[in-house]
Amino acid sequence: MNAGQAPPKPANQHMRRNPPIAGEAEAIASAQAGDARSFETLYALHKRRVYSLCLRMLGNVAEAEDLTQEAFLQLYRKIGTFRGDSAFSTWLHRLSVNVVLMHLRKKGLPQVSLEETLEPSQEDGPRKDIGARDLTLSGSIDRVTLERAVENLPPGYRLVFVLHDIEGYEHNEIADMLACSIGNSKSQLHKARMKLRELLRTGERKEPAA
Amino acid sequence: MTGSNQENGKTMDCAEFQDRLPELFESGNDLSKEEHLKGCENCAALVRDLEYIAQQAKLLLPLHDPSPNVWSNIQSAIQNNGDQTAKH
Repeated sequence: MNAGQAPPKPANQHMRRNPPIAGEAEAIASAQAGDARSFETLYALHKRRVYSLCLRMLGNVAEAEDLTQEAFLQLYRKIGTFRGDSAFSTWLHRLSVNVVLMHLRKKGLPQVSLEETLEPSQEDGPRKDIGARDLTLSGSIDRVTLERAVENLPPGYRLVFVLHDIEGYEHNEIADMLACSIGNSKSQLHKARMKLRELLRTGERKEPAA
Repeated sequence: MTGSNQENGKTMDCAEFQDRLPELFESGNDLSKEEHLKGCENCAALVRDLEYIAQQAKLLLPLHDPSPNVWSNIQSAIQNNGDQTAKH
């Protein structure tokens, strides 16, 4: 196979995280008909995933809670438009991503401007690893350590890393969401992984001294 | 001189290889078969680490529940919206 040509991946790879949930279909139908208890059921089923997505994308608890609230309010307003073309959690997830991205665009601060965060400064960027003595990470990082390192990524890197590597979106979907090129998405993901490696290795070196 | 050339040659190879890494990762090919990695432990370790990071990221689960205030606020907002709609 041509090295430049990616093999086809299964459509909606993030569906791997969206197995059917018992009782969800009934709750959706009832919530669409205006039943408040069913909407509360949907909130209970999906609040953790939506909140985690917001928190990982934003890195801030208060903002993540605000946007979780906003995502579910949008869900309340739009649930009648859900037709079941995709899994409900996939649909809600995409709605939540859009809520966060809209917030970031409105905020317009340098650290959340997509233009700027997709081109982090050279100081923030990952360095090439030419000639460096290596510590291999394999097998040595736990989830808490990785979560902490993700939190410390520059915002632009973090967005692409969270969407692709954690949430399972494809580059074409990310490019669409972030209004950037597919090449840019791929490049930012690579830089994010390089930066994470650097953060994880630095953490490893610091830990014994602490 | 030969050693220096070889060293320079290897450095160039590493730079070129690392420049191609984003594309290589996206190709979905087995990177362990890349010729450069057979002779370069540094780049091999880099590739192993980046693959490991991507694998571990897929295993990250949702973190915590939001505070109970979030649901209270949602309920209030829905209630207020309903009240306003009823008035109109």
